[in-house]
Amino acid sequence: MSGEETVGPWAAIPEIAKVTLRQLLGRRRTLLLVILSLLPVLLAVAFRLAGPGEGGGPTEVERFSRRVFDTISMTILLPLVAILFGTGAFGSEIDDGTIVYLLAKPLPRWIVVLAKALSAVTVAVLLTGVATALAGAIDLFPSGSDGILATEAQVFAMVVGSACYVSVFLALSLFTRRALVIGIGYMLVWEGALSFMLPGIANLSIRQYALGAAKAIYDLPLQEARLSAETALLLAGIAVGAALLIAVWRLTRFELPGGSD
Amino acid sequence: MTTQPLSPGAPGAPGAPGTTAEVPAIELSRVARWYGNVVAVNDVSFRLGAGVTGLLGPNGAGKTTLLHMLAGFLAPSAGEVRVLGRSPHRDPSVYRQIGLVPEREAVYPFLTGFEYVRFNARLQGLRDADGAARAAIARVGLEDAMNRPVGTYSKGMRQRVKVAGSLVHDPQVLLLDEPFNGMDPRQRIAMMDLLGHLAAAGRTILFSSHILEEVEQVGTQILVMVAGRLAASGDFRAIRALMTDRPHRITIRSSDDRRLATALMVNPAVFAVELTSAGLAVQTAQLGVFRSLIAGASRSAGVRLLEVVSSDESLESVFDYLVRR
Repeated sequence: MSGEETVGPWAAIPEIAKVTLRQLLGRRRTLLLVILSLLPVLLAVAFRLAGPGEGGGPTEVERFSRRVFDTISMTILLPLVAILFGTGAFGSEIDDGTIVYLLAKPLPRWIVVLAKALSAVTVAVLLTGVATALAGAIDLFPSGSDGILATEAQVFAMVVGSACYVSVFLALSLFTRRALVIGIGYMLVWEGALSFMLPGIANLSIRQYALGAAKAIYDLPLQEARLSAETALLLAGIAVGAALLIAVWRLTRFELPGGSD
Repeated sequence: MTTQPLSPGAPGAPGAPGTTAEVPAIELSRVARWYGNVVAVNDVSFRLGAGVTGLLGPNGAGKTTLLHMLAGFLAPSAGEVRVLGRSPHRDPSVYRQIGLVPEREAVYPFLTGFEYVRFNARLQGLRDADGAARAAIARVGLEDAMNRPVGTYSKGMRQRVKVAGSLVHDPQVLLLDEPFNGMDPRQRIAMMDLLGHLAAAGRTILFSSHILEEVEQVGTQILVMVAGRLAASGDFRAIRALMTDRPHRITIRSSDDRRLATALMVNPAVFAVELTSAGLAVQTAQLGVFRSLIAGASRSAGVRLLEVVSSDESLESVFDYLVRR
């Protein structure tokens, strides 16, 4: 055993990230999420095969954005994937006790949180972003520059949404073992039902941050998007920053129970 | 090696037994930890220097809580915990000097043994993580299995790879929670040898166990915890003698309990005899002597023995005796 020479704590980020990625990708539920992420791609193929709508009807960008991007990708795929990976980044290690191998190391806790968050966001973006890009390439690229910009905006919404959902639910998983249930409840009740009835809660909706952020690239034809790009990006930044700070604060105070003894 | 229980009234007082000019590797002063109304650790004080110390106690005695406080994972509700002169709670830098083997078995099952130990080395910031990992794996004798996923390991192998991960950075203090769980006798001996060598090299090692034989084979010093309290501490031989020489209660069923009672009462190894509905209850402080005389005594009295049961041989009863003393 040596150990005289040491490197800085930054070097731990790729190590923790690699282990976290293998944890997250090695689960059976990830396979289900991959299958789910194929749904927008399959729908894009179906739209493409069905051809454009009647003249005078919605454009292909409008049709695809409303029926596939908004209804499937934003409402189901993104929150489900990001919440599962966000809560799973720490959750499984807390459940099985392997968190001790991270905590018993001379690392600033923000390094651990950052590595975990980066891993979970990466996996979430890989699934949701790639699926959205593929779907857009199949159905929207033939519509010209509007279709390409709309696809870019939709992918950007996935990136912003993934970062927000992952950060918030990663932090929550350090407080409660029911973070996943709470996340699903948030997705269904808060964003799925209440946000339609109470437009005022847009400022507290990750979905709205993602939709609003897309406007920075292209104004997708969605009535749902209530926030401007600037406001959405600002609120998304605040949500990610605050959630990660809370996660660091919580991990610093994280206590392991005494067990049976 | 200094295992010194502190005087409860004057923890760490200058001139107290075991006080040296050096900072003790581990020092607890009147430490307590409670969860709501449940007291897990109560008023525990001791100091440890280099060497191997066994933390002995039945399940639920507070051993894991104590180790978690020493590892900085729990704050004491009262008192002070110091490792290498500083509080380990909320101070990650202390882990450069502490190695911890937790009780729970879980290890990342998808990593190979080598990857797991190297992961520990890299999180410790070691520049030559590969070299350190290979050396640590060699110390626990897992070279042949180091390229297999940990998920395929036996319980004993998982314990050994956990130990390798905990000592990869050559810590000054090693805390092990039930490290011999799941190990076969050969693995136990090898692990005991390893701990002995580390202690000889000046490391402070504290390991918990609920099995007396494990502790006495490794630790020259022991701490006995019962119901959250430190019931005894010091040289294991002295404490072992207390455990062996304590009063033993033996229940005997025979063809004539009353006649056997009369025969046993005259024997100096027996200090109490009582006729009960379950049979003859005998108390002796010399269990070995009693075992050798009972057959002859019953034969001389013309009584046939039907059953001889030692009714308080459980570890819990031994601990209970130590507490009552």
